[in-house]
Amino acid sequence: MKAAEKRIVIGVYHLSRSFGKYFALQDINLQVANGEFVFLVGPSGAGKSTLLRLIYMDDFPTTGQVVVGPYVSTRMKRSTIPFLRRRVGIVFQNFRLIDERTVFENVALAMKVTGAGMSEIKRQVTDILARVGLYHKRYDYPPVLSGGEQQRVAIARAVANRPAILLADEPTGNLDPVVTKSILELLFKVNAAGTAVLMATHDIDLVRSFGQRIIYLEEGRIVRDKEMIFVGDLRERLPDSKVSRRADDLEGYDISGEGSGNGVERGPRE
Amino acid sequence: MNVNAMRYLISESVLMLGRRKGSNIISIVIMGLSLLILVVFLLVTLNISRIIEATREEHRVYVYLEDGLAQNVSQAIQLRLLGSEGIEEVIFISKEEALARFREALGENRDILEALEENPLPDEYRVKLRPELIRSDFMGRMASEIEGWDGVEEVRYGRRWLERGETLVRGFYIVDLCIGAIIFLSVIFVISNTVRLMVISRRKAIDVMKLVGATNAYIQVPFIMEGALQGIFAALLAVGLLVLIYLFGTRYLSGLVFLDPGAVVGFIVFCALLGALGSFTAMRRFLKM
Repeated sequence: MKAAEKRIVIGVYHLSRSFGKYFALQDINLQVANGEFVFLVGPSGAGKSTLLRLIYMDDFPTTGQVVVGPYVSTRMKRSTIPFLRRRVGIVFQNFRLIDERTVFENVALAMKVTGAGMSEIKRQVTDILARVGLYHKRYDYPPVLSGGEQQRVAIARAVANRPAILLADEPTGNLDPVVTKSILELLFKVNAAGTAVLMATHDIDLVRSFGQRIIYLEEGRIVRDKEMIFVGDLRERLPDSKVSRRADDLEGYDISGEGSGNGVERGPRE
Repeated sequence: MNVNAMRYLISESVLMLGRRKGSNIISIVIMGLSLLILVVFLLVTLNISRIIEATREEHRVYVYLEDGLAQNVSQAIQLRLLGSEGIEEVIFISKEEALARFREALGENRDILEALEENPLPDEYRVKLRPELIRSDFMGRMASEIEGWDGVEEVRYGRRWLERGETLVRGFYIVDLCIGAIIFLSVIFVISNTVRLMVISRRKAIDVMKLVGATNAYIQVPFIMEGALQGIFAALLAVGLLVLIYLFGTRYLSGLVFLDPGAVVGFIVFCALLGALGSFTAMRRFLKM
């Protein structure tokens, strides 16, 4: 982890979001630095998904503001949102893949919409699918894949544009414990390559053992923001670590794009 | 927009149309059949109005001359008729010729004419008017004017027939227009709704595209193109079926005419626009524009 140049990639300042009289979120303040892995924990209805939606600007705060790289919620134009999305990978509990497209096409879509060239797309998607272990299923359609495989495709799609940030909303919510572990491992792998990950989950037991920063959310408020204890590759902390430790799996493949000057500060890629 | 973007938009449209063959075929068939009702209606209207026009063109005004008129007076009347407004053709039919025609028309009953001592028919001018002037008001005015000329005995133009025919034709066109409007509106409704359902059924894909950072244009253009393509295929289906109906019809009805090629092209273009517009309006809601 390049701890030397620490900078804030997600900043949430005095954010509130209300629906009528009901406050989904109230006075939220948090910052996520580059390369950080943060768990956002809380029971259902605590406001985790709402907070993530506000970060990827599918929704906007009632008061306060969200800053993601160069994008500021209070100054955001609708036409700019797509460019923010290209810098932020997003993963959901229900995968959100397009059923009538192959695994390859699903991942390629994220690059296609940026106007990337076919050869670049082919190279990059092939590479990513190999890394998430689904290259052999590239021509399959999502409905024939297992839940874990679908989530891997979703993660591959989320990192296809080498985002600085990965948002994961209950990514393991639909998966059994064994698959959950493998998905967590994959997210750690993405993080180890330099991408900041913010993962929402209701499963406190799942995340407690990693010694990572955990933000507890209850009834729309942050009740606790536990500092990071563990510094290093999180895959070491996975229980029952039969997982092959290949720390350099993603080496030379800078997901954050920092190395190639594709950092989040850069303006939208036209 | 760069080359990659263009290639993407085209490949997306083709891909979407191909991957959802089943539901696309159903959509196209639904749209095609409703369009068929419209084109059948147009074809029927066209042919009926052709018959009406043909009948109208056959209409003549008969100017009967006084008996024993000098030739120069008769010729003066002819010249005056030719110089009158809206008259295209004036044919002289002598009383002898008229009788011969009458005899021919009687056929087997021609014997009854043997009882005649002399030819009771007058000389006449058979006048053809410009088709658009074959209206009872114009012809009534013209007839009473000509009747005032020297040497003219009587002018007949089938007033009662013409007036009845005009009422009938007017009634036909009003009913036809109403039916046409209803069919037209239902076709627009069916097509825009079919395209809208297609867009809704792909809402998930639209959401995903928004999620990965596709601009609205990127999401919209393939859908609009697909809507247009569906409109074109549906139009072709409708026209194809109409050709079959037409060919079948010509076996029983002679003189049937088909829609003008320009009208067919216009119809296809109209369907393409309708499909595209249906897609566009349906998308607007999802894209919150």
